[in-house]
Amino acid sequence: MNQSLRGDVEMPNILCCYKWVIDEAYIRTGPAQALDMSVVDYKISDYDKNAIEEAMLLQERFGGSVAAITIGRPDDTKGLKDALSRGPQKAYFVNDPSFEKLEPAQTAAILADAITGRIEYDLILCGEGSSDLYAQQVGPRLAEKLGIPCISYAVAINVEGSRLKVERKTEEGLEVVAVPLPALITVAPDINTPRIPGLRDTLAASKKPVEEIGLTDLPGPYEARIQTVGIKAASLTRNGQKFSADKAGVKALVEALQKDGAL
Amino acid sequence: MDFKLSEEQELVRQNMREFAQTYVDPIAAEIDENSRYPEEVIKRLGAMGWMGMPYPAEYQGAGTDYLTYAVAVEELSRSCAATGFTMSVHTGLAAGPIFYFGNEEQKKKYLTPLCNGGALGAFALTEPGAGTDVGAATTMITKDGDDYIINGTKTFTSNGPNGDIYVVFGWTNKEAGGPKGMSAFIVPKGTPGMSVGGHFKKMGIRASQTSEMVFKDCRVPKENLLGQEGMGLKIAMGSFDNGRIGIAAQAVGIAQAALDESISYAKQRVQFGKPISKNQAIQWMIADMATEVQAGRFMYMYAAWLKDQGLPYTKEASMAKVWCAEMCSKHASKAVQIHGGYGYCKGFKVERLMRDAKITEIYEGTSEAQRMVIAGNVLR
Amino acid sequence: MAGVWILAEYIEQSKELLNVGRELAGQVGVELAAWTWDAAWADECLAHGADEVFLLPPLSVDQGLDAYIRIIAEKARTIMPEIILVSSTLKGKELAARLAGRLDAGMASECQGLRWDGEKNSLLAERLLYGGAGVQTVSCLGRPQIATVPPRTYEVASRSEAKGGRLTEISEQPSSPVAILERKSREHQTQDITRAKAVVCVGRGMENQRDLEKARKLAGLIGGEVGCTRPIAEEMHWMPEDTCIGLSGKIIKPDLYIGLGVSGQIQHLIGTRDARIVCAVNTDENAPIFAGADYGIVGDLNEILPMLLEEIGAVKK
Repeated sequence: MNQSLRGDVEMPNILCCYKWVIDEAYIRTGPAQALDMSVVDYKISDYDKNAIEEAMLLQERFGGSVAAITIGRPDDTKGLKDALSRGPQKAYFVNDPSFEKLEPAQTAAILADAITGRIEYDLILCGEGSSDLYAQQVGPRLAEKLGIPCISYAVAINVEGSRLKVERKTEEGLEVVAVPLPALITVAPDINTPRIPGLRDTLAASKKPVEEIGLTDLPGPYEARIQTVGIKAASLTRNGQKFSADKAGVKALVEALQKDGAL
Repeated sequence: MDFKLSEEQELVRQNMREFAQTYVDPIAAEIDENSRYPEEVIKRLGAMGWMGMPYPAEYQGAGTDYLTYAVAVEELSRSCAATGFTMSVHTGLAAGPIFYFGNEEQKKKYLTPLCNGGALGAFALTEPGAGTDVGAATTMITKDGDDYIINGTKTFTSNGPNGDIYVVFGWTNKEAGGPKGMSAFIVPKGTPGMSVGGHFKKMGIRASQTSEMVFKDCRVPKENLLGQEGMGLKIAMGSFDNGRIGIAAQAVGIAQAALDESISYAKQRVQFGKPISKNQAIQWMIADMATEVQAGRFMYMYAAWLKDQGLPYTKEASMAKVWCAEMCSKHASKAVQIHGGYGYCKGFKVERLMRDAKITEIYEGTSEAQRMVIAGNVLR
Repeated sequence: MAGVWILAEYIEQSKELLNVGRELAGQVGVELAAWTWDAAWADECLAHGADEVFLLPPLSVDQGLDAYIRIIAEKARTIMPEIILVSSTLKGKELAARLAGRLDAGMASECQGLRWDGEKNSLLAERLLYGGAGVQTVSCLGRPQIATVPPRTYEVASRSEAKGGRLTEISEQPSSPVAILERKSREHQTQDITRAKAVVCVGRGMENQRDLEKARKLAGLIGGEVGCTRPIAEEMHWMPEDTCIGLSGKIIKPDLYIGLGVSGQIQHLIGTRDARIVCAVNTDENAPIFAGADYGIVGDLNEILPMLLEEIGAVKK
């Protein structure tokens, strides 16, 4: 923890995690209900942009440093530039050709091993879930592996000395919680609006340091705990029951809704 | 030959796309309807470093190559041709002459604010009686001690009403004739004797402000002369070479938007029980559109690439400009056709695209002028 | 002793999980156990089919559910249940993932369907991915196999007073470094359509902006919010951007979705596919929305909307 010259306000070192994912807008349905990925492009997972943005906002308010970390294949370098163009001062790139289609248990295990003993941090920020799988597991799993507290679905974060005051979403509304550092927080998309990198930020990104961490630098192995047995296009078709366009039809529709318990 | 944009260039395109979707798309129809200059958007572009892209960091430009800049113009124009054009004229025709022909003091004083968003640039060459025939200009610039005095009227000055820094052309030596008689001067806003004349109500790119500029005994110091006396035509032609790449990119942006709209509409418009995208006639129109947008894109990128390599690019810039402009006009019209009656109505983007497209065939050198340049080059 | 465990933040979801839990327990050949922290709730779990209930000590006022994680994980290590089902409320999801992290267990999130594969000896779960474009079937490996299930995915298990069952009291005290300082109830947020139980969606087929008022009234009657398709916000500016439903807008999962003049482009339908019941009114019988709707009326909104308001208004009284 960097002690501020001013005394009370601590300046945390923040590590934000991001995932380079298939942009689902480009996915099409192929023949035989399969998904057609032939024209897909990639992006930083949407909620991870909120995490990076929050890290930058916290740095603007409290000082300290921000680094980004990601896991991917060696050629996923565009994501690094994208992430760095959003503000972090450096990036950690944990990469290996086998790091493809990892499931959350693996991702969390790899991140934990990459961080422990190598990266100093006070606060780790993650998106609430990734836009491809949306399993919403990596953040909490990583916290457990690192032995630090975890707050999820945060909508506001404040640094108060050596603890954080966080507002997080619950089914009933909001909770304001206090948690000591170091800690891990997953952020909800409502927390902020990610900045659009300016041209200068994008151009400066290539000049920022990237530390690479390979599979041989890590203890391993990273076995999957779940297996994908199949993926198919989601089917949108439903019942399709039609009612006549008159009073009787509307009445029948409303009755059906009542029966379904939808009213 | 590497046909791929670098990761950085792709990210720049992506950033501009995001910027345009966030700040420009929501207002594009309104600024067109009201002929309103999108001041807030231009200011934001300036603040984020987009208004001086290809110029070096020492003048607070972003220092990108020209290809990256052209890609950004295309992307911005895809959302709004008027905004894209405002950026292009500012960068290519106003900042350009100062960068390529100005001395160090001029660059520090004028190029820097143009690059950092502090000032909007404008280019005043065309006159009521002098369009393609630049030599028919009547603006006279007479030396008077340590100053020059400008008298004349300019027309179709883009960014005229809102400009902060103008590059103005006129005769310093009429007897010497075209190639040696004109000079270019930097004239800042507020210089006594310079005034904005009538505003033009245009068919398209209505948010881009265009006006006459009237110079009556407008006095500028000799420090504002760009290059030497007599270099005016050379400066103008040189600037057009660059500007044309920007216009070609703008035209491709418009055509891409026409394609986007056509695909989206064709998929959802149902007639005779199926989406019109299932009809061969529509499929072929869209196929042609996609093919020619692709071709146009490669044309302007090639011209930009040649410039970045330090190779001659005048012919290629002209080719790209004339071809992309005519291509985008054609396809913007096709896009309206695909939309049927709706395409003819306000509230549908293609209506604006068709009106915006036409000007690309006219300004910064009409298609006829481009053909003269190309023929002159090819038949040498 | 190993079994199927269920855990939920609210009693209603406990009852839902006991339903699918009983089925899975039967297939695996083990007992069904529920976790809770309230004695009356524990009794209800037994009545709804649990063979055993683990009763945790109550939390202090500044503790949240995360204070139980260590305790539950320890018990899981000793007992090694086959399956742990957790209701995927916000806290449930965090709890489940942290349990999974502690136990190095595989976890399938937000499952729409669960079944036991006897051959593979594993839980097979169906869940959505790629923003709803795809359905993934995952198989959990190892033990325990954890799955989170969205509320209302399953019906509540049937109740039987006669059912016995064991109550196991857990004595370890919950603890957590996280302290809850304040709890705020959600104000009725208009336009928070992602949390709305019912959504009325307005599309291009609504010709008059004045009819928005009727749409709002309808939403009010069904206890929901009004959303729109992209053109309504982006081109016509009738409604704010954040009420757009679809691929580039909000994804909603209401109990009831009523599309008024919505044609049903795929980008919009992706945002509504999780709705339990989809209703559509549109003049165009070929509009794609009807293929994705449970109930539809091909008709003019000008006529149908007032009728809908009248009928629903009548039953709601």
